Amino acid sequence: MGGSTGPEVDEVLTDTSQAVLENPADRRPELILSSPSFGAITDAVAEPLERKTPLGWWLCFLPALGLLGLLGIAVSWLFWEGIGIWGLNVPVGWAWDITNFVFWVGIGHAGTLISAILFLLRQRWRTSINRAAEAMTIFAVMCALIFPGIHVGRVWVAYWMFPLPNQMGTWPNFRSPLLWDVFAVSVYGTVSALFWFVGLVPDLATMRDRTKSKIAKLAYGILALGWRGSNRHWQHYEAAYLLLAALATPLVLSVHSIVSMDFAVSQLPGWHTTIFPPYFVAGAIFSGFAMVVTLMVICRSAFRLEKIITLRHFDYMAKVILLTGCMVGYAYSLEFFTAWYSGNPYEIFTFTNRALGPYAWAYWTMVSCNVLSPQIFWFARARTNIKVLFGVSILVNIGMWFERFVIIVTSLHRGFLPSSWGYFRPTIWDVSCLLGSFGLFFTMFCLFVRFVPMVATAEVKGVLPQANPHHEPQARAAAGAH
Amino acid sequence: MSHQAPRTLTAESVMLPEGHRLRRLPMLGAAATIVGIGLLTVFGAAHPAKVYAAWLVAFLFFLSLALGALYFVLIHYAVQAGWSVVLRRLGENLASTLPVFALLFVPVLLGMGDLFPWARPEAAGDHLMQWKAPFLNRNFFLLRAAIYLVVWSALALGYARASRAQDATGDVGISKRLRRFAGPAILILAITQTFAAIDWVMSLSPRWYSTVFGVYFFAGCYVSWFALLALLATALRRGPLKDVITVEHLHDVGRLVFAFVCFWAYIAFSQYFLIWYGNLPEETFWYHLRLQGRWQALSAFLAVGHFVIPFFFLMGRTVKRRGPWLTIGAIWVLTVHFLDITWLVLPSIGQGYFSSAILAGAVLAVGGIVTMVFGRRLAGRPLVPIRDPRLAESLALDNA
Amino acid sequence: MRLPMTAELPAGAHYGLLAEFDTTKELYHACEKVRDAGYTRWDAHTPFPVHGLDRAMGLKRSPMPFIVLVMALLGGAGGFGLQYWVHSVEYPLTISGKPHFTWPAFVPITFELAVLFGALGAVFGMFALNQLPMHWHPLFFSERFERATNDLFFISIESWDPKFDPVATRRFLEGLGARQVELVQSS
Repeated sequence: MGGSTGPEVDEVLTDTSQAVLENPADRRPELILSSPSFGAITDAVAEPLERKTPLGWWLCFLPALGLLGLLGIAVSWLFWEGIGIWGLNVPVGWAWDITNFVFWVGIGHAGTLISAILFLLRQRWRTSINRAAEAMTIFAVMCALIFPGIHVGRVWVAYWMFPLPNQMGTWPNFRSPLLWDVFAVSVYGTVSALFWFVGLVPDLATMRDRTKSKIAKLAYGILALGWRGSNRHWQHYEAAYLLLAALATPLVLSVHSIVSMDFAVSQLPGWHTTIFPPYFVAGAIFSGFAMVVTLMVICRSAFRLEKIITLRHFDYMAKVILLTGCMVGYAYSLEFFTAWYSGNPYEIFTFTNRALGPYAWAYWTMVSCNVLSPQIFWFARARTNIKVLFGVSILVNIGMWFERFVIIVTSLHRGFLPSSWGYFRPTIWDVSCLLGSFGLFFTMFCLFVRFVPMVATAEVKGVLPQANPHHEPQARAAAGAH
Repeated sequence: MSHQAPRTLTAESVMLPEGHRLRRLPMLGAAATIVGIGLLTVFGAAHPAKVYAAWLVAFLFFLSLALGALYFVLIHYAVQAGWSVVLRRLGENLASTLPVFALLFVPVLLGMGDLFPWARPEAAGDHLMQWKAPFLNRNFFLLRAAIYLVVWSALALGYARASRAQDATGDVGISKRLRRFAGPAILILAITQTFAAIDWVMSLSPRWYSTVFGVYFFAGCYVSWFALLALLATALRRGPLKDVITVEHLHDVGRLVFAFVCFWAYIAFSQYFLIWYGNLPEETFWYHLRLQGRWQALSAFLAVGHFVIPFFFLMGRTVKRRGPWLTIGAIWVLTVHFLDITWLVLPSIGQGYFSSAILAGAVLAVGGIVTMVFGRRLAGRPLVPIRDPRLAESLALDNA
Repeated sequence: MRLPMTAELPAGAHYGLLAEFDTTKELYHACEKVRDAGYTRWDAHTPFPVHGLDRAMGLKRSPMPFIVLVMALLGGAGGFGLQYWVHSVEYPLTISGKPHFTWPAFVPITFELAVLFGALGAVFGMFALNQLPMHWHPLFFSERFERATNDLFFISIESWDPKFDPVATRRFLEGLGARQVELVQSS
């Protein structure tokens, strides 16, 4: 007999590693372990917010705050002295600044994918991680927006980038990809923040209703907008959520495509290639998921959320990392092939220079981190091993930073005119800006986990089997049925 | 609605009944083939080059449907999809026609000299063609084509056979094995399909290149497959699968057609836009060919017809849930996909290679053969994988 | 039919009755019965959206999709119009040798603004339809109601409903399997 036990499975999986490796083609595994009640979910997620700030949090927050301070210093000095404090030269006019920009925007994309695209695909496992992932997106976009802002040189006229009527009668160049970036990333940040906040409102109401502290009650209460769980409200809410997800999906594809167009609309070999838009999007999802894995590994053990963010979630995330890693590898191979196929000596030179020239060390770092390291995720054991997951996720993030560096710098440093060939070396201020941006990111993330419910409790409750009004608790399927 | 005891289906209940209109497919296919070959003989005997060009268009159109079906089956297994179990057999059946394409490829081989500039003797004196000769030469081309067709056939038949075997035994291990192999299989399919697109379409203009071309071809494959799936699903709802394929499934297929119309538009626009913006003559000439003379109208029509119209038409919830409306949308998408293939192929081969009678003949001939094979498979096995472990989940799909 | 806001209704001694349920199943069936009994001024309260409850309550479809579509089209048209006006009318410049009106180059910003306006329509439209923020509501007088955002399910029937009767409606709700029925004051 090979039938399944029905659309919902009420099955308690106590041993997580065994459950994941068991690889059931025949039943949907329990996403949240040991069948908690709704109240237990609320308690589990709210508890870290209600106890005294643990030491571990301070150990993360204070160094992050320090790095944020470093960012402040670096940026202030940049505004005072000018772009020359970075290692930029002719011909390499863009290096770490734009690498960091694309890096951070890319990381943000995983959050939107988890929130929006997985929602449209009815993947219920997203509910344990989407809140943290969306928060990650917003903070990543904040970090990303710093770099185009500060790299313009004359920051005091940065408002020229916006279409504001002015006394000179001038307008921005809407046909430039640099301006499309401004619109794309701003819209992306705005929509992500709105999407995140909309998702947060019911959970803020939950916190409002259970907190004992008057200040907390006031704060949560104001932000919860008076939400009272009314189903008439839920109806419009659900419709709006679906529509936001449907809007966010093409948005996330378009944003990184537009970022890729910064390079692809040029005529530079190594930059001007038609695969950039989908390739950049795949790479963004790749690096973003790696960052989500890194953050979730830390958070789930720090906040004892192992039953809500389970190894199954990591299994799925690892598969996404593997898939997008293969897509990135596909793009690398195709670029190489097409460079040869084109017969264009400049294209051929650019690619051989990448692999064998002065930046070969960066190129091979990129290839080994991005293409080789995720291959371990073909193995189920690797996908559910926390140490492997953490290690690979760090490697992937390093590799993806190098990918943007390789694309930008290797194409610039040896262009059409050999007499202009050069080499870029970062200065202490390049490094400070990058480290400082991590400081901003982790500061915001620490504040987030301290004050905001880290898991979308309302959504998690919604995917529990008992949330379905038609749920029939099945008798435990006899293990011998298969 | 979804809380009765899980349903099981018997093989008899999901076989294509004798009187069903889809039972006529093999016969219609045979008739089409005969008419098609007739048209080709009558109108094309004097212009073999036009015949080869038209044949290539027809070949690629039906191939893209079959490849889309194969992607669908593999992706279904790789992501452990539950909703599409009742539809998977249709994908397996169409993908199983891939071996026939080896036969259908013969006219393309015969016409290599007419179709591909690099296969002509003049290429020996052209510096760029000589550069590409290690890749673009007859022998390697033939070898690659053989590899693609063998690999695709192996994947399609392997998956179809294993799925059919599961009908009898209900062995969950089959699903597990198919799932495990699906990941590598998708990789292999993606690479072979990319190079097939490069070989059979991009090399028609051997001086041109675009790194996203494989993805562009994939987008066409996948959107046209889902449109075809919508048609098949709607047709089968009038018959044995009335309660098996529900409005919910149609809705999901409609959503996928919509999504991949958008994806196609994204890729097509990216390719055009980047080449337009960079304005390099070595790349733009390919689009110039398609924006001149008679092809200009087709280009404009594709932009509107392959994106704007299906986008707004398939946006609403109601359209996707009503059989007749979804059918109209699906037929439209298939038509514009065919025009897309025409637009990809014919302008590269040159002016004056278009003859509607010959093109119709080729479509009927190639399509007839594919339809014959597909129709026989459809009738010869249960329409639904009756012992698939996830069947009950698929039957209980509810989109509310 | 747009229900008047609570604040617009004449003052009464009570807001209405609040019935408490343990499971989604009980709530679902209870809602069906309340709907069939002909009540109009009532609502269900849940910690998360319950699948199918809209149907059980007999609610009409939400107009959100139309709001979003209209806003998105406005945003896109506005974006395209702005770019067209700037580049073809107000301050035309020849950039990279291309004509003044280059619609492909206008696509990215048009798209982004369409999405932005659509999203703003979704968020602010939703809040408007829900009449939020509404930081205070009579139901907050009930202490049990705090669990509506945690793990319990409620049905509230307002006293301004034409079919409302303090005794009969209470008995009706208890008959639906409510764990507890509470009379909620209005001020």
